[in-house]
Amino acid sequence: MTNSIPEFDETDCFLITGSNTTEAHPLVATHVLRAQRRGAKVIVVDPRRTQIARLADLYLRQRPGTDVAWLNGLMHVIIQEGMYDAEFVESRTEGFEELKAAVAEYTPERVEAITGIPAADLVTAARIYAQAGRAAILYTMGITQHTTGVDNVLSCANLAMLTGHIGRPGTGVNPLRGQNNVQGACDMGALPNVYPGYQPVTSEAVQAKFQEAWGYAPPLRAGLTVTEMTDAAYHGAVKALYIMAENPMVSDPDLNHVRAALERCDFLVVQDIFPTETAEFADVVLPGVSFAEKEGTFTNTERRIQRVRQAIPPLGDARPDWQIICGLAQRMVGMQPTREGRFAGWEYCSPAEIMAEAAALTPSYGGVTYERLEQGSLQWPVPTPDHPGTPYLHKDRFTRGLGRFTAVAYKEPAELPDEEYPFLLTTGRMMFHYHTGSMTRRSEKLEREVPEGYVEISPEDAGRLGLGKSARVRVISRRGTIETRAWITRRVPPGTVFIPFHFAEAAANLLTNPALDPIAKIPEYKVAAVRLERVA
Amino acid sequence: MERVALVREAVKRLLDSGQVEGVLALRTVGPGSAPHLFHPGDSLDDLTLWPKYPLPKILDMLLAADPSVRLGMVARGCEERGLIEMAKRNQVDMNRIRLVYLACTAEERDECCCSWPYPSQIDVGDKVEGTADALVAEHERLSLAERTEFWKRQFARCIKCYGCRTVCPQCFCETCVLEDNLWVEAGVLAPPFPSYHLIRAYHTIGKCVGCMECENACPADIPLTVLYTLLRRDAEEMFGYVPGRSLEDLPPLAVETLWQTGH
Repeated sequence: MTNSIPEFDETDCFLITGSNTTEAHPLVATHVLRAQRRGAKVIVVDPRRTQIARLADLYLRQRPGTDVAWLNGLMHVIIQEGMYDAEFVESRTEGFEELKAAVAEYTPERVEAITGIPAADLVTAARIYAQAGRAAILYTMGITQHTTGVDNVLSCANLAMLTGHIGRPGTGVNPLRGQNNVQGACDMGALPNVYPGYQPVTSEAVQAKFQEAWGYAPPLRAGLTVTEMTDAAYHGAVKALYIMAENPMVSDPDLNHVRAALERCDFLVVQDIFPTETAEFADVVLPGVSFAEKEGTFTNTERRIQRVRQAIPPLGDARPDWQIICGLAQRMVGMQPTREGRFAGWEYCSPAEIMAEAAALTPSYGGVTYERLEQGSLQWPVPTPDHPGTPYLHKDRFTRGLGRFTAVAYKEPAELPDEEYPFLLTTGRMMFHYHTGSMTRRSEKLEREVPEGYVEISPEDAGRLGLGKSARVRVISRRGTIETRAWITRRVPPGTVFIPFHFAEAAANLLTNPALDPIAKIPEYKVAAVRLERVA
Repeated sequence: MERVALVREAVKRLLDSGQVEGVLALRTVGPGSAPHLFHPGDSLDDLTLWPKYPLPKILDMLLAADPSVRLGMVARGCEERGLIEMAKRNQVDMNRIRLVYLACTAEERDECCCSWPYPSQIDVGDKVEGTADALVAEHERLSLAERTEFWKRQFARCIKCYGCRTVCPQCFCETCVLEDNLWVEAGVLAPPFPSYHLIRAYHTIGKCVGCMECENACPADIPLTVLYTLLRRDAEEMFGYVPGRSLEDLPPLAVETLWQTGH
């Protein structure tokens, strides 16, 4: 998030898209709905009429995968009607003329033809967002999990810059992150192209810095993303995988392909707190610890670094993840020539010492210490020990100086419904289960609430297929077949079906399309073509 | 001497008296507070009074964990009344409990819109009179149709976290009807209107003492106490029953049920 959750109390307009906020980020929704009660407007753009869509002041239902078109349409209206922030555009950005030219053809009528959003509603949304004193964009995977994921995100950034709704409290572009510490994992360099703090692996200066600190640094080229690793394993280019706290046998697209890839691995290590579907393929399983058994920090969606404190000793043979990793690393280092470097030894007495190294090597964490965190949380960037932290980003300048508009054209999803596979499948989450269910599906209370998967289908489509309430149904894509239960509901429009991906026994990801965004390599979980058959 | 110092003194006296093995109170944790069991000899420097957090349910858990233990608790008016209703239904044994009675300040009363901000006796603090909840008066001016609309809108925000039930000292059933698919269809958000919320509301009659913990716990900011205050008033008007007023008064639903079944 460029901004902070409490700032939403000052926001006048929320543009929420591709986010099932009350179910996936309920506490963020609390702030949004509080703001709404004191007069803020809530616009929701989502193919599914979710709880937050029903609570919205204005709800726009787009055809899945058409986000660039409606975002360009909003900008078209805003420029046409002179509602953009000319001063912000002039002083803080570049590339406006290219953007203006690119969005010129996205008239409300053309956008309606592409997206299904009524032209008048698009104009209303544009006016509310552009004319608000402080408007914030909130999005999650409904924006990113597309072959045009990067284009979608760039379009959100374009819209915020065009209207000057960024760099002030209560505004900004706010991707709500799904896991308590996924922001922290990215911050610490758990990505193939950056060191901690997003320092690029392709920079010689950065490489030299880590060479000096670690006595070793990886080559000057990006590694593989997680989705590319699976494919590389399938083709034999990757021989061994070490998977930590991830369950690709439920969460990755095209599970039949994932299965074949894991089977072809010469050596597979899985480190997790429970046996998962992925661990069934493992040669070695290393038991990690849960939040309750460890010391450390979590960095949340608003870049807030907070201490987590151990409540109980590790259960059974489990060990804190940092101890497992350091133990392995020390054995590997021991097999190689001695390395010189301030942090070359993989020797730490505590997570606090690891944070000291992170602070020494990561400019945005430079002022973070456990002593300071004991007094309260810190939001990065915290470059120095006396820096108070940063509630919102891009105040007077963007990271690169001027904000650059990127002209983006609408592209269709990789796979659309046709005669053979006439339904558009979109996948996602729900309130009562979390991700691959490795934790929540072990909870008796949550299992009682939703014990099995389902496919949401409109009453019109259910009628056509002769499906009654809770009828068993087969869902078939080019990649696989599952059998599940029909949930007849107006949450989805005719022609679209939705399946939550939490259920391994009827896994939505047997069906999904592994087509990737060309830059971020994120798969298109939100659009695939399927057909449905009633189970006799 | 300031109020919290007086409470610390009273807790120390109770611990030193040997009448109890520990005293349950709040302790400062970061910017907030959390329940803590203070033992004889413990430092009481971080004992605090605010923000308020429901202690009766925690006390119940501690007493159940060790059937021989006797414990003290720092109790505001609502917490004392909560324990009284729990005791009537055999959830706690008042003979194993010693209370340090704390009267709320005018600011604390206003924070809770509390009509009864003091316990039956006062060890620390000065009695301030209760206040009326403005939201309740506002609600009474609505027509029945407007009220239905009002609650529909409020309950549409519910995310079915069960927080109102889980935090409630009077919710102690081993099986909860809110988890019964027959009455409340499972897995649906917001939960079906009005079954989920009105079933819970009915079940608070004769038990709810207005401690407001359900509303404090609610992430959707649903003004549950408005509903429960009106129900409490109905119970008083119809049966003359005031939850938490005394250990001896029998709860009207129990009495009526016994009468109807001929016992």
